[in-house]
Parts: sequence; C-alpha cells; structure tokens
Amino acid sequence: MDFHLNDEQQLLVENVRELMQRENWDAYFAECDVKHEYPQRWVKALCDLGFDLIMLPEDRGGLNLGLVTLMAVYEELGRWGAPTYVLYQLPCFDTILREGTPAQIEKVLAYVGTGEQIWNSACTEPGAGSDVGSLQTTYTRRNGKIYLNGHKTFITSSAHVPYLVIMARDSENRDCFTEWFVDMSLPGIKIEPLNKLGLRMDSCSDVYLDEVELDESDMFGTEGNGFKRGVKDFDFERFLVGACDYGWALCAFEDAARYANVRVQFGKPIGRFQLNQLKFAQMAIRLDAMKNMLYETAWSYDQGTMTSAQAAMCKYYCPSAAAKVVDDAIQVLGGVAVAGDHRVQRLWRDLRVERISGGTDEMMVLTLAKGVLRQYAA
Amino acid sequence: MKIVACFKASPDAQDIQTLPDRTLNLERAASKIGTYDLNAIEAARQLADATGGTVVGLSAGGAALSNAKLTKDALSRGLDELVAVVDEALVSAEGYQTAQVLAGAVRDLGDVDLVLCGAGSSDVYAQQVGNQLGTILGWATLNGVDAISVEGDHLVVERPLEDAVQVVEVALPAALSLTSGINTPRIAGMKDILAAGKKPVRTLDAPALAPASATLVSQLAPEQVERRHIILEGSPADAAAELATYLKAL
Repeated sequence: MDFHLNDEQQLLVENVRELMQRENWDAYFAECDVKHEYPQRWVKALCDLGFDLIMLPEDRGGLNLGLVTLMAVYEELGRWGAPTYVLYQLPCFDTILREGTPAQIEKVLAYVGTGEQIWNSACTEPGAGSDVGSLQTTYTRRNGKIYLNGHKTFITSSAHVPYLVIMARDSENRDCFTEWFVDMSLPGIKIEPLNKLGLRMDSCSDVYLDEVELDESDMFGTEGNGFKRGVKDFDFERFLVGACDYGWALCAFEDAARYANVRVQFGKPIGRFQLNQLKFAQMAIRLDAMKNMLYETAWSYDQGTMTSAQAAMCKYYCPSAAAKVVDDAIQVLGGVAVAGDHRVQRLWRDLRVERISGGTDEMMVLTLAKGVLRQYAA
Repeated sequence: MKIVACFKASPDAQDIQTLPDRTLNLERAASKIGTYDLNAIEAARQLADATGGTVVGLSAGGAALSNAKLTKDALSRGLDELVAVVDEALVSAEGYQTAQVLAGAVRDLGDVDLVLCGAGSSDVYAQQVGNQLGTILGWATLNGVDAISVEGDHLVVERPLEDAVQVVEVALPAALSLTSGINTPRIAGMKDILAAGKKPVRTLDAPALAPASATLVSQLAPEQVERRHIILEGSPADAAAELATYLKAL
C-alpha cells in the first residue's frame, strides 16, 4: 500500500507550510477568536494559493485535485493550530453546482478567490435540532411570490454570509420540505449573534424570518427534496469536521512533545517520566488512528465509494479522540497551557463544540451503527 | 529580455545535524532550492513580466537536480524552463569551479541579457559565484543589488551602502547578485505547481572542472558555549553603550 503523496501534493503541503511560517498567524487567530471575527486575511492568503480550487471541477476553473489532497492540506494547516473549521464552504461547491440554478451558481462562484464568506445552509430551529423534521419555518405562496416565516437558531456563519440556504416546509402541505436560496440583505431578516464556547471565528446566530419575500427562482434544488439534498452533503461536511479535529490534535501533541523534551523537573526532562510517556503513547495511537481513518475515507471519496458510515465514523471518533489528545497535551504543558494564552486552550474549546455542531455524537452513532449492521442483514 | 536565474540545490538547514565532533551530518537533509536563490528567481520573473521576457533557471549540482520534486518546485516559482548541469563532482565544487560551469552553460544558452544570483548559497554562503560568473563572462558585474529597473537599453540598479544608496546604470549583458531584501519571493500556488510538471527541463553534462582555486581544510560547526545569561538594564542608550562594550570585548 502506497501512503506517499505525489510530488505535486507534497509541494502543495510545503507551500502551505511556507505560508504558515511567514508570519505569526497564531497571534492573528487569537485576536480573531477573542473578537469573534472571521479570519478573512488568512483565508484570502489560502485562496491566493488556490485553496478554493482544490475540489472545484476543472470546467468551473478549478483543479479537481481530490479529497486526499485536501486532507493533506487540512493536516498541515491544523498542525499550525489554524481555524480550518471556517473553511468548510470552500471545498463544498459541489452542492451549489448540483442543486443551484445558473444564476445561483454564478452568484456563489463570483466569490472564488476572494476568501470571503459565501453561504451556508440553515436547518436548526429552537424546536428542531437533530430532529430536523420538526422544523416550523414555512414558505407560503401568495400573489406569485413566496413568503418565508420562522426562526432559525445556532446558524453557523449566518451573521456574515451574503446567502443562506434556508430549509422550510410548505404552509399548505406540511410534509413538503424545500430549501430557498436567500439573499441575506432582504427586508424581514433579523440576525442576533450568539456567544459560543468555541469555533468563535465563525459566527453563530439566531435568524428571524418575517415575511421575507422571495421569487420561485430562489428555490434551491427541487421542491420537496430538502431532506434528500442534505444527506449527501452532510457526509462530506462530517468528514471535514474529522479532518479539522485531527489537525488540531497534531498541533497540541507537537507543542506538548517539544515541551516535554526540554522541561526539566527532578533533574530530567518530563518526557522521561513514565506517566507522561503513557500519555504520549496514547496520544500517538489516537493520532495514528485518526490519520488512517481520515486518509482512507478521503481515498474512498475520491474513488466514489465513501459511505455515510465512514463519514459518521470520522465525525464521531475524531472530535473525541482529538479532545483526549489535546487534554493530555494540556496536562503535559501544565501551567503553560492553562495560564496565559496558549493556543491549546482555543483548540480545547473548539473541540468540545465539534461533538455537537454538524451532527451530534449521538446522531453519528445511529448512522454509523445502521451502516455497519446493514452489511450483515439477511 | 532573456534572463537566467541561478540557484543551488542545498541541504535543508532544518535537517542538518551537528555531531559531537562538530562535523555536520547531511544524510537526513533533503535538498531544497537555496533560500536566497528564491530572490533571484522572483526578481527574474518580475523583470521578465515587466519587459515581456523569459526566465531560464540554471543550476549546477549533483543528483538532487534529477529529483522531479525539486525541479517542479523551482519551475513553479516563476521559471519558464530549467537547465541543469548535473555531475556528482559539482556537489563539492567550490565557487570558482561552479562559476566556470555556469558561465559555460550561459554561453551555450546564447542571447542571454541578464544573469541573476542570490546573495549567497544557503549552505556555504561564500557569496562568490555571482561575481566570478560575471567576471568570467566579461560582463558588467555587481553584487549587493537591492532594486532593479529597466530604462531603455540598460538597467538602473540600487546598491545600499553604509549611509547612502548607490544608483548605477548598468549596460547589458550583466550579471547581478541580489540582496535578500530585494523582494519577497512568491509562494507558488496550486496552479503553478501543476503547470510546473509541463515545463521543459534540459539536463547538460558537466565539462571537466577547472582546478580548484582554494583548498578546503576543514568544515566544522562553531563550538557551543554556555549562555552567560547577562541582562543589561537601564535606559536604552545606557544599555546599548554597555552592550557595545561587551561586544567589543568578545
């Protein structure tokens, strides 16, 4: 089995490393995290290298380099403690290209290369979390127009994206779920940003929709297809969550390992104490398991064979395994980690959110177990 | 304008290991394009773009130049083509021998208007090859060049001196060695990396090397000394004066 990246992939990773080495990005990330600001300057720098072209098809001006390539870039960025979670929309043009109208596609692709936030989808409501089917937001046809009414909550990126794809049910036929491509500057939309434990460089808000007037041409995908659209794209997003988490675990591990080799107590580096060695052994095993799981899943995706169970496995295992690695790293770093502004604090907070956002641990278990058991069904 | 940007495949400094006897272990160090040579490639690209010219990368060295990843790396950073003179003997060649080989390759290329070199190689950093290469070619030769612009049929270059900037008009052809501050070399984007594999690479056999102009007696890392942990306190002016006293006493 050949685990090597090809020349181009290696150069890509090395150039990403060069970008990360050129300045103290960590100070910028810390500042953005405190201010709850999107790290626009960093994302733009990545797009200047072509980050948003990795998964974009060639007929759209992209490079179509595949998910293994993207994985290698996420791994390198994560090693530097970079907030890869804000990048999720840039490899996800597939959704827009598959479901969008030509006008919607044009609007989204106009942002390629800018590093700006573009769009996200909005499902969750106060009464509809994992149980998306309970959502109460409605669309109503009246005088040739469509009117959206409802309340979405915990909507990632919503404070700053120009477009939101909003899931709603037909007020005339409540079993019909349809998505709408909504220009966020329209009248009737109110945003209330929420504070958040982690992942603070991307906004998270309540979105209130009061008689938001749309046209039929604003429909995203086909009427009644809202849920089916989601499933395939959720798998991709779940994989990306795992890829972020693994990278941050690697970051914390490397910080801790360097420290354990130089921090001397009782006359020897603390890395020589067996209680710390147990931590490093377990951290290394978890990192290796995450890495192998993610690269194999990425390879499957590139072959067109990634399953929902594989994606759910990444989404379920990586946040917890990475959190354990970061937690061990904090223990090794001791006071250096918990006092002051060490980046492991941010990673620790971010990882706790990862077990909930983008599909909870509990929902991942359901998907994963169902996929595994199905293979043995009579 | 046809511009040649010279570079050396040097061991990656991060992976060079200093052994207890102060000798260097290069076995684990992969070859990379010299850090300062990237300035030459960048300056060449900028000048070529401004004048509608082409950039030929030129390097003399050993097997590292046959490594596809290294040549793609060089090509991705702004070269139009690459010419590599490959011979294991070149790995340990000294500056004068290298300059002779590069001069021969520049003559073979023909119609070259300008040769650019970095401030020095990132391993030996003798800062000799650029000046010797220009002299062997019999061209206008300058080092320490911190800015280049094209005016008509000649160049105007700036050289920072201790308390002034020297502005020199340079007739072509010329060989210039640059400062490391002349530009910030670009990081190649993904498109550039993919395009690099499609650009032409020519490998030339090395001619017989000229006799060495110097003899390498030994090459040792500096002796490690314990840090003295001296902290100078007081106003910046006082601390600076005290620091100067320390430095002079070294």
